Amino acid sequence: MRHRSLERDGRAPFLFLAPLFVLLCAFILFPVIMNMVVSFADWKGYGRLKWIGLSNYRAMMHDGAFWTSLWNTASLVCYIPVSVAVTVFVAALLREGLGGWKVYRAILYVPNLLGLVIIGAVFSIYLRDDGPLNLALKWATGSTLPFLTSPVLAINSIGMIKVIWVHLGFGLIYFLAAMNGIDQGVYEAAIIDGAGFFRTLRHITVPSIRFAIEFWVVFNFVEVFSRMFSLIYTLTRGGPAYATFTLEYGIFVQAFEKFHTGYSGAWSVVLFLFCAVISIAQIRLMRQGRA
Amino acid sequence: MKRASSIGAGWRGLVQVFLLGLIFVSILPLYNVVAASFKSTDEFVVNPFFPPLAPTLENYVYAAVGARLLHYAVNSLILVPLGVVLYLVVCVSAGYAFGKMRFRLRLPLFLVVLFLLIFPQLLLATQIYRLISLMHLANTAAGVVLSWGAYFSPFGTYIMTTYFAAMPYELVEAARMDGASHPRILVQVMTPLAAPMVATLGIIGFQSMWNELPFSLLILQDQGSRTLTLGIAMARGEYGVRVPILSAAVVIGMVVPLVFFLVFQRRITLGATAGALKG
Repeated sequence: MRHRSLERDGRAPFLFLAPLFVLLCAFILFPVIMNMVVSFADWKGYGRLKWIGLSNYRAMMHDGAFWTSLWNTASLVCYIPVSVAVTVFVAALLREGLGGWKVYRAILYVPNLLGLVIIGAVFSIYLRDDGPLNLALKWATGSTLPFLTSPVLAINSIGMIKVIWVHLGFGLIYFLAAMNGIDQGVYEAAIIDGAGFFRTLRHITVPSIRFAIEFWVVFNFVEVFSRMFSLIYTLTRGGPAYATFTLEYGIFVQAFEKFHTGYSGAWSVVLFLFCAVISIAQIRLMRQGRA
Repeated sequence: MKRASSIGAGWRGLVQVFLLGLIFVSILPLYNVVAASFKSTDEFVVNPFFPPLAPTLENYVYAAVGARLLHYAVNSLILVPLGVVLYLVVCVSAGYAFGKMRFRLRLPLFLVVLFLLIFPQLLLATQIYRLISLMHLANTAAGVVLSWGAYFSPFGTYIMTTYFAAMPYELVEAARMDGASHPRILVQVMTPLAAPMVATLGIIGFQSMWNELPFSLLILQDQGSRTLTLGIAMARGEYGVRVPILSAAVVIGMVVPLVFFLVFQRRITLGATAGALKG
């Protein structure tokens, strides 16, 4: 088969790839590299660069907001197993084909369509201290919960919103498609042997969709590290104080509110390292799967 | 025929109750926003929870005209389709090269694309903002469309590459025999055959760009050039505490994605499983 490699397509492929790579170099590669460069400088985003070595990194190590951002990210990571459990469980229930399951699936998908800005705006109203949920709580229990205004609760509210409203609907479609590939006969045999819902879930469904679950976990990591900004911006603007900062949000505040662009570069390098690891994990999964 | 179920008859009712509860929890916040949007500010104070007793459209008028959301919606309806066209051209062309052409560096370049798939927008935003300003593209359609096209293209390229790669190579070979060039093969043979996937990708691109915030927030700083999504994101600060007006703004923001869903429901459902990694 060696001679086949001689029939290459010459330069034509590079013409087809040119638009993509021009855009990628200008808008992704160049920004990532420039962030690393400016992280060693004092820079406001315009004017001259002043090289200051590792000072930005030293400042970051003493910045409470930086550690809070990491801690918040860790809290959101804790919601990943919750998301896996809830989504797989509900998908397995819907798989049973109970009456109306298609309608359930469609309704649960609606929040997903609306995008993070709308979801953030909806919950900024719903979870206010004087919002509908708290009015109902007050009527039922006599007290209210500061869902968005208490530092401890706010980040957890964001975690729950992600699990139930942002991801559930999409995850159901994804897992139901994966479960559709399982041979129905296996279930029938198990049911004849007297296996109930939880036993078939544990011994048939979960092992059969292992690959889909791994993908879902990686996808959730991507979401936590790289897709939180829009939700946080519309829901809490990073507050109260730094309580809902993530690395992304910190970069935004440093670069565009305080104009410490060089310093935001140091945060960017940390975020880049996390994302590089996730990206490599994802590529390995993709290559195992289909690509 | 009914599927055999592992859930005993006695439990089925309980499961239905659980699922209905889940639906209730998931719909309630949306119901609240819709209900509040039809209440006057005075009514909202005394009746924050139940459906409006004296429904009014004044919030909608204020949000659409006074707060210019209608104007922003028009901006979105111009910018997003432009972005989708750029996105499709870039991804179909690159997907064809990766999926159906033979060349040195094919795998390494494809891995670079996959590597760039998940980077956060905020990691890029500072430098993109600077680049856009240097090119005098701040507040322009070109600025935001190019950034969207670039940011979402690794995902689209991945999807098109796997789709083209799965198509039989004989299609390309036969056309080559007939003396067709690669651009002709792509435009006249492969793209029509890949039309279902191109359409699905167009829908995914539309949704991603319609809901996009960070780049439009930084590039479209001039109020008149805002997208609808950006207008709603900014609304919170601008209308202060007037929940009914903010609610009307949010409902206006829901219209296009929901209409889109009703029209393309099947394709959106399929698209969701095409890749678990949409941007």
